[in-house]
Amino acid sequence: MKFVPDGILVTFEVTVLSIVIALVIGLFTGLGRLSSNRLVNGLASLYVEVIRGIPLLVQLFYIYYGLGRLFQLPPLTSAVAAMAICYGAYMGEIFRAGIQSIPKGQSEAARSLGMTPAQSMYHVILPQAVKTILPPVGNEFVALLKDSSLVSILAVADLLRRGREFASQSFTYFETYTMVALVYLMITLFFSKLISIMEEKIRAD
Amino acid sequence: MRTDTRKTMVEMRGVTKYYGALKALDNVDLDVYEGERVVIIGPSGSGKSTLLRSINRLEEINAGTIVVDGFDIYDPQVNINKVREEVGMVFQQFNVFPHKTVLENLTLAQIVVRKRSRKEAEDIAYALLDKVGIREKAHVYPTKLSGGQQQRVAIARALAMQPRLMLFDEPTSALDPEMIGEVLDVMVNLAKEGMTMIVVTHEMGFAREVADRVIFMDFGKILEEGSPEHFFVSPTHERAQQFMRQIL
Repeated sequence: MKFVPDGILVTFEVTVLSIVIALVIGLFTGLGRLSSNRLVNGLASLYVEVIRGIPLLVQLFYIYYGLGRLFQLPPLTSAVAAMAICYGAYMGEIFRAGIQSIPKGQSEAARSLGMTPAQSMYHVILPQAVKTILPPVGNEFVALLKDSSLVSILAVADLLRRGREFASQSFTYFETYTMVALVYLMITLFFSKLISIMEEKIRAD
Repeated sequence: MRTDTRKTMVEMRGVTKYYGALKALDNVDLDVYEGERVVIIGPSGSGKSTLLRSINRLEEINAGTIVVDGFDIYDPQVNINKVREEVGMVFQQFNVFPHKTVLENLTLAQIVVRKRSRKEAEDIAYALLDKVGIREKAHVYPTKLSGGQQQRVAIARALAMQPRLMLFDEPTSALDPEMIGEVLDVMVNLAKEGMTMIVVTHEMGFAREVADRVIFMDFGKILEEGSPEHFFVSPTHERAQQFMRQIL
């Protein structure tokens, strides 16, 4: 079953690239949702509502076959773009909740010292919000890792895709898919454990 | 008698502020001069905190003008952050930064806003920590400190900006009784150094010791003003008499 290590690498590649981009999208979406500027706020809200209302698989097809063909994007790029845009909407809500969890007095203290809204956000609010944000982001990471198996439908050679090819050549369907399932399970269990350790450390601080 | 030679630090004219249908500030006029110590008293909901918070624009007002250190702070041309650099504020709930050490609480805005070097900011910070008596806590996180110590950090943090005016919003109201004295001591010393201060408080002992003028507010209006002694002995307004009976 040589396909496993190669497949895991691609699965990780999709997952890590997607989560990093989703975090950046999520930060700006969260800030947008809290903005007093109506246009910015409206756009951020629209993005979150639209994305959360459409199944991820449909988004993948839309970006891969729709936009990907139009702009000649390589499969991995379309896949990562679709996953990041989808998860960015959920991350936006996590960032929004994290920022809102910081008492108003903190930004008032920062502003009263002459800090701009951006300086207050960067130096005072976000470093404190990270504690609230980190655990749910960890959960999103595990969820994204599992959802990344959807990209196997596109021409991305992730763990599931390579497993499917291996099975159809060797006719060992039961063994191969058992293996694929176990590998996903081990990876997600590993990361779930890591996240709960991290959560406990944060709570202990 | 006031003389015209003194510089006006805060000039409020016709300041009015609504919270929904509630009139929190009702056509308030107030002048505070450089070097003056003004204590604002009044029952809760009288508008005294709102008045104080409008001076550095933490509250938006609906009508009137407020000029601070020569700047009309509701003029869109005026950079409010520049004005705030010169106006320190101390809050009832301290609002120290829990993710920064005491020293970092004092240096952050100096470095980010005043653009001082780390060395210079730390020198100023240590001198202020000496002054408020908690130098030994420089590298501790403020959540490990008592309320009185946290409030002294907050005062030092505001002073580190070397402001021209200090606003205190019920600085001792959230403190246990045994810690009130240590915070008031710091404020009394600051007053002796000549800092212009506007203080919302119920501590009449503090008012008697440092205040040049006491202002009594209720219903969003200044109902009476005078010396601390005036309020102890013979407040004229019925609401002020009632209030003084309650707090003394």
